[in-house]
Amino acid sequence: MRNLLVTVATLALTVVVVGNAYIQKKQFYPSVVYITKSNPSMAVIYLQALIIIWLMGKLMQKIFFGELRAAEIEHLIERFWYAITETCLAFTVFKDDFSPKFIALFALLLFLKIFHWLAEDRVDYMERSPIISWLFHTRIVLLLTLLGVVDLYFISFAYHHTITKGASVQLVFGFEYAILLTVIVNTTIKYILHIIDMNREVFWENKAVFLLHIEVLIGFIKVALYMCFVALMIKLYTLPLFAFRPMYYSMRNFKKALNDIIQSRRAIRNMNTLYPDATAEELAAADNVCIICREEMQAGAKKLPCNHIFHVSCLRSWFQRHQTCPTCRLNVLRSSPDSQSTPHAAAPPPPQIPLQNAGVPPLFAFPAWQPPFFPHMPNVNIHQANAPNVGEFQRQQQQQQQQTQQPSQPQMSASQSQPFSSESGTSQTPGAFIDSSFSRQFPFPFMIPPIPPFIPGITTPPLPPQNWNGLSLEELRQMEDTGRRGVEARLQCLRNIHTFLDASVILMQQYLTSATITATSGVTTSNVGSQNNTSDSNKTNETVAATNLSTDTSEPSTSQTMFSNQSFETSSTSNSASDKSENSNQQNEFQDKLR
Amino acid sequence: MAGAALRRLMAEYKQLVTNPPEGIVAGPISEENFFEWEALITGPEGTCFEGGIFPAKLIFPFDYPLSPPKMQFTCDMFHPNVYPDGRVCISILHAPGDDPMGYETSAERWSPVQSVEKILLSVVSILAEPNDESGANVDAAKMWRENREEFNRISEKIVRKSLGL
Repeated sequence: MRNLLVTVATLALTVVVVGNAYIQKKQFYPSVVYITKSNPSMAVIYLQALIIIWLMGKLMQKIFFGELRAAEIEHLIERFWYAITETCLAFTVFKDDFSPKFIALFALLLFLKIFHWLAEDRVDYMERSPIISWLFHTRIVLLLTLLGVVDLYFISFAYHHTITKGASVQLVFGFEYAILLTVIVNTTIKYILHIIDMNREVFWENKAVFLLHIEVLIGFIKVALYMCFVALMIKLYTLPLFAFRPMYYSMRNFKKALNDIIQSRRAIRNMNTLYPDATAEELAAADNVCIICREEMQAGAKKLPCNHIFHVSCLRSWFQRHQTCPTCRLNVLRSSPDSQSTPHAAAPPPPQIPLQNAGVPPLFAFPAWQPPFFPHMPNVNIHQANAPNVGEFQRQQQQQQQQTQQPSQPQMSASQSQPFSSESGTSQTPGAFIDSSFSRQFPFPFMIPPIPPFIPGITTPPLPPQNWNGLSLEELRQMEDTGRRGVEARLQCLRNIHTFLDASVILMQQYLTSATITATSGVTTSNVGSQNNTSDSNKTNETVAATNLSTDTSEPSTSQTMFSNQSFETSSTSNSASDKSENSNQQNEFQDKLR
Repeated sequence: MAGAALRRLMAEYKQLVTNPPEGIVAGPISEENFFEWEALITGPEGTCFEGGIFPAKLIFPFDYPLSPPKMQFTCDMFHPNVYPDGRVCISILHAPGDDPMGYETSAERWSPVQSVEKILLSVVSILAEPNDESGANVDAAKMWRENREEFNRISEKIVRKSLGL
């Protein structure tokens, strides 16, 4: 209503001005001269021109856009005022060229700019609306073509003008239209991508990546254009203040796009290397809905370290912004395995099973320290023969106990007939037999059998490998691998460390148990304890431990544990021979004493 | 196939329609634009806002659900956690990183796990129990703390106005 009033009023004013001039001069030419000479008349004429442009704009808008949405209008007004300010700043640089034609050219530029912005907004809107009509497509295609052609025309015009007549204000126009052309190109590419996306049956994961790359490219072109322009302007005229704000914004956008692309690439890389694909069971166990997009996950889902499962594409776009789990906010970068670059020293290699001794029945006498309250002890042999059947946990425990006893083994194990050839390698520790038989006879929860008392000070926890010989070249290579296998190898490594830790916990419990036994069970055990204490201390070194560790692995019952330190065997065989002879001497001695 | 944001909004709308939470109605203002919603929130029972029906506007960003939507009451509202112009100030509407009030941990910020329903339920809960520490509307926060009777009187007025009485 107000617009209509303004339009009518301006029209009336123009009619009055023109009528007045015509009445005064009676002829066309003198009237025109009169109007151009009279400032008030010119003001009215300018106002009329403005209104006509505005009406034209309205018409164009009706043709190409239909009704504008509130957000678009808001956006438009905001940009419009900036553009007006910058145009006024540009006038100050070119005040010598100031003329009606000059103003008209700037008005046209502004007019076209508005349509570029609207086109941009409209294409962005495509992503928001579920309904895109044919009218929309026709309008956008027509508008983009028209604007592109106009931009190209003005660029070539400015170019020829500058070439033939030297630098002038046409430089600014040429440059401005070049920037507008990049906008059109960007909008067109986006439009095409949206169209492709809309016609696809399935979700297009890579669209976001494409858009990001295009943004970077266009951003780069814009920044380069602004740089050239500012350099040229400084050289030919003066500092182009009016170009600084858009230049700053395009640089900032470019930087942001570049940053986005880096973040995105990192997210993708992390996704491919650090997080495993979720399996079908895991998907079924969770409720199978990606919490980010609220859609079902079939394939292409990833599991984070915190066990939350998401779509790959959803995760990627989220990780571009925040490197946290969307559900529990676990920082995924911080929690990723550190062992990536430094495989831990305590990591034994994955199981390698020396089975050559599997059928060898262990030869030994009953442990000398056998407490009288173990009635099942006579069965030890039989159980040991069946030992390969015991469960993983049991085996693990057994082994840990063997390790605990290793330092004191030389004195405590009473196996006189123990074979010492490193080839057969069945230097059985009594603890192992007791454990295996024990755990088979007692219900499962009774996993920690009372072990022989020994002096806690002597016992050492399971020892980590002393050197890198423990890992074969192939395993090391596997751990350095960046792919899934590498991650698995590293995880395996961590798991082994975990087992070591478990072992020490169990050790502690054993200490406690043995302490109680020592307290309750008479003189014999305490004797043994003191025996250990006095005769040993210097032999509880790591070599012994390592030797025993190696021989343990060849024992059938423990052959499948994670502690298969095959390579230790080779590294420590030389030591083992001498140690073992020493051990045997002491064991003999020990048994004699006990008898 | 439509964009991820649009599909998620449609999914949420469907969810809200088929399984509406008590005292909350929400949906897009127009079928053509799923990124602007209108919500009606009933004042929780047993509070000074009981019985009121408060309309609010939700504006979703392009990259929803990666960024949070904005929420603004379109009626009069006098509440410690609502700016005088109606914008709602609750932590789950703030993206991790920016902290307008300087008191929130990132654990209570926006994440894609949140949804329109959760936002509206949070708003209902702050209607019942304002958080006077965040203080989007300082006058309201002060009154809530020091002069509860006056606060109740004003909220009663707001409730009546929201019902068109």
